[in-house]
Amino acid sequence: MYKLGQYLPGVSPVHKRDARVKIIAVVAVSVITLHTKAVGLALVAVAMASVIWIARIPLVYVLRALKPVMPLSALLLLLHLLFTRGTPLLPFPVGLVSVTREGLYLGLLLVGKFLLLVIAASVLTMTTSPSELTMGIERLLRPFRFMGVSSHELAMMLSLTLRFVPILLEEATTIKEAQLARGAVFNSGGLRRRIQTISCLVMPLSTSVFRRCEELINAMEARGYQPGPRTYLQELTLSWGDYLVLITVLLVTAVIIWL
Amino acid sequence: MKSAKISLRGMVYASMFAALTAVGAYITIPLQLVPITLQTLFTNLAGALLGGYLGALSQLVYVLLGIMGLPVFAGGKAGLGVLLGPTGGYLVGFIAGTYFMGKMIERREQAGFGWIVLALGVGHVVIYGLGALQLSVVAHLSAAKALAVGVLPFLPGDILKILVAAFLTLKLRELIKL
Repeated sequence: MYKLGQYLPGVSPVHKRDARVKIIAVVAVSVITLHTKAVGLALVAVAMASVIWIARIPLVYVLRALKPVMPLSALLLLLHLLFTRGTPLLPFPVGLVSVTREGLYLGLLLVGKFLLLVIAASVLTMTTSPSELTMGIERLLRPFRFMGVSSHELAMMLSLTLRFVPILLEEATTIKEAQLARGAVFNSGGLRRRIQTISCLVMPLSTSVFRRCEELINAMEARGYQPGPRTYLQELTLSWGDYLVLITVLLVTAVIIWL
Repeated sequence: MKSAKISLRGMVYASMFAALTAVGAYITIPLQLVPITLQTLFTNLAGALLGGYLGALSQLVYVLLGIMGLPVFAGGKAGLGVLLGPTGGYLVGFIAGTYFMGKMIERREQAGFGWIVLALGVGHVVIYGLGALQLSVVAHLSAAKALAVGVLPFLPGDILKILVAAFLTLKLRELIKL
């Protein structure tokens, strides 16, 4: 089975916080991170480290979450290192360009900001289950309508998508293997041939998805699905601890923005 | 209460295309320089088959899915950090880009291959524009550098995917009932 999502079930004060509070906290951390320089970043890093410690998330998982963003971070660091003018760090030029102190500082600062953003978001998804997150987003977006869609409908669409991603992933793999077994070659041939090979992968997948859509629509109509406000089996409730965290986060963010 | 603008049919199809876009990020096809994923192929198809409104909605759901932490963004990335990071502009671009693609294709009764390719191309200009803009602002790169890093490497794969998407749209639009 494909493992999707990064949720690590557990019992900790971080796991117990309301999904809405955690989402707001991540947005706050993002705002602070994008707003501050080196000293602020170090403080955010310390704060994140303590949250990770309280949540008892193994460090391996944090590093694993950072892996996908590593190539881009390296590229950004390299770009700034090579193309920023300033005091040279090395007495001799490396090839055609010289490495500067300003470049190193700017590059490290940017990469640090980016990695902290990713860590903050990962901690949220590691400590909150997807259904809690859907509910949290639904409640937070309730006052707004997005492109003519209410938050209930958006939450419904999110749950539908969440439900179908693993199924479609399995189906896509099956179709790809089936076409490979029939002799499909993906990495050679002219333009016309390539278009055909990709099409023979996407055509069956799409038709099967359309069939699933029709079945799902029939099933939902037969059960009398109506767009509009819905009730939930488990409602989100805010405890005093949630309020405390929320107020602290908002105060800290406000102070940092004003300074 | 305000009556819902969206039908159940539209909701289901938009959700499915969001799921397809997410799954597309996992289907890689080796190409000469960099392997391409089928993710933006489904972004193209969403715009071309669902139309501007539902297409953009499907991409909005896809982006929200990634923000919720499912590793559905290119390269298995996820989270709000990616949206606010250097490459977040492309994600916003997907939503805006599909809207333009769909609206342009909707203008013609029965759009031909050339018109679909043109519409998808215009959509890509929007995606690249927003993507390169955020890249240059967040990563402090000059416009030329942002284009060199954030647009050029993807051009060959994206042109191929636009052609495939236009070809598939002609075949698939008979099968989809919105």
